[in-house]
Amino acid sequence: MTDLLFNWLLPCTYAFLACAGFCLVFNIHGPGILICCTGGALGWLVYLLADFVTHNVILRFLLAAIFITLFSEVMARIRRCPVTGYLIIALLPLVPGGGIYEAMLHCVRGDTQMFLSALVRTMGIAGALALGTVLGSSVMRIAFPIFNRLHKGSGGPSHA
Amino acid sequence: MDYNGLLNLGTELGCQLMASGAEISRVEDSIQRLMQAYGISNAHVFAIPNCLMVSLTPPTGEPITRICRIPAHGTDLDHLELCNALCRTLCQDTPPLEQALAQVSLVPDGRPIYSDRAIILGHFLVGAFFTPFFGGNLLDSLCGGLCGVSIALSTRLLRHIAGSSAFFRTLLSAAVSSLLAQLLVHFGNAGNADAITVGALMLLVPGVSLTTSMREFMAGDMVSGVTRLAESVLTATAIALGTGAALALGQFL
Repeated sequence: MTDLLFNWLLPCTYAFLACAGFCLVFNIHGPGILICCTGGALGWLVYLLADFVTHNVILRFLLAAIFITLFSEVMARIRRCPVTGYLIIALLPLVPGGGIYEAMLHCVRGDTQMFLSALVRTMGIAGALALGTVLGSSVMRIAFPIFNRLHKGSGGPSHA
Repeated sequence: MDYNGLLNLGTELGCQLMASGAEISRVEDSIQRLMQAYGISNAHVFAIPNCLMVSLTPPTGEPITRICRIPAHGTDLDHLELCNALCRTLCQDTPPLEQALAQVSLVPDGRPIYSDRAIILGHFLVGAFFTPFFGGNLLDSLCGGLCGVSIALSTRLLRHIAGSSAFFRTLLSAAVSSLLAQLLVHFGNAGNADAITVGALMLLVPGVSLTTSMREFMAGDMVSGVTRLAESVLTATAIALGTGAALALGQFL
């Protein structure tokens, strides 16, 4: 029970609330706030759940980024709003700020080996996030016209 | 039809979209759609992150062009949503040009903006909740929030002093917040300096420009993609340098 709380529930709650802070910083109002925060929390949940599939951290970040992109694209199309906002905020908990810091910490302490490995890991995570958004949006670009054709009349121009 | 007015309408809307942090493809696409809605099919739009050019040839044959330089800007997602929605309605209803131009120029004033206090609260929330996210306890979380507020205040202050150099601003803010974290750990009883520092640094991390850069690449706007990618690498370097300086100073504590 405590395991569930501390390893799963709390981190996602932290991600949710931190995203709420970013919504204030980037001036988001209304129901958009809830979408961004839910996206951030679910994205982190996917990252945690991906541990069952693979222990490769970079692959877990990739899966989480793909999930967040799909989630925000779907939400943007439902609300007919630009996807940028939801995507940017929901991805922020995944951005490797810790990696930059860790690399710098080792650099200052003069540990070149650890510095380089932290640097490479950080760049790997950033690359995984980038690749994840690219893959997610490409999937949406292919899938959405097909979905629209199946439900003719219900969808509008997909200029999201 | 007043083609100069149409050109102004398109450029004005495009400028606002750019200034709110929209992707290039969205800006170009919106202006193109707007022109088509008003019956101009030979409009050409080109944009890079700080410049927008719109050119069209009316049936009378004299081509007209407007260039607009976009000043340094942040990201304002509510503004972006409003401009996007307005562009949709304009394309659908095509109201008279004066009315449309009035609607576009009203957007920046009429939209809701969070007060300074709310924005500082936002910084506090980000710092306070990313700290436990990276393994801090309750007290650390409070300190993380304080460091977040220090970032908000120092970026604001530096905007007046250090001018428009975003690199230097990020560097100094990162240094201030990391130094504050170390002081709080040294003199206060907070335990985890790493978690506090990283939690507050998440405010400066270039997540926005990295994500946008990737979207630009995907849409085929290579110039803008490279520009934003360079921006995010520079920001990350600034954070690393600032934190490094603070860590080096902290060793003397």
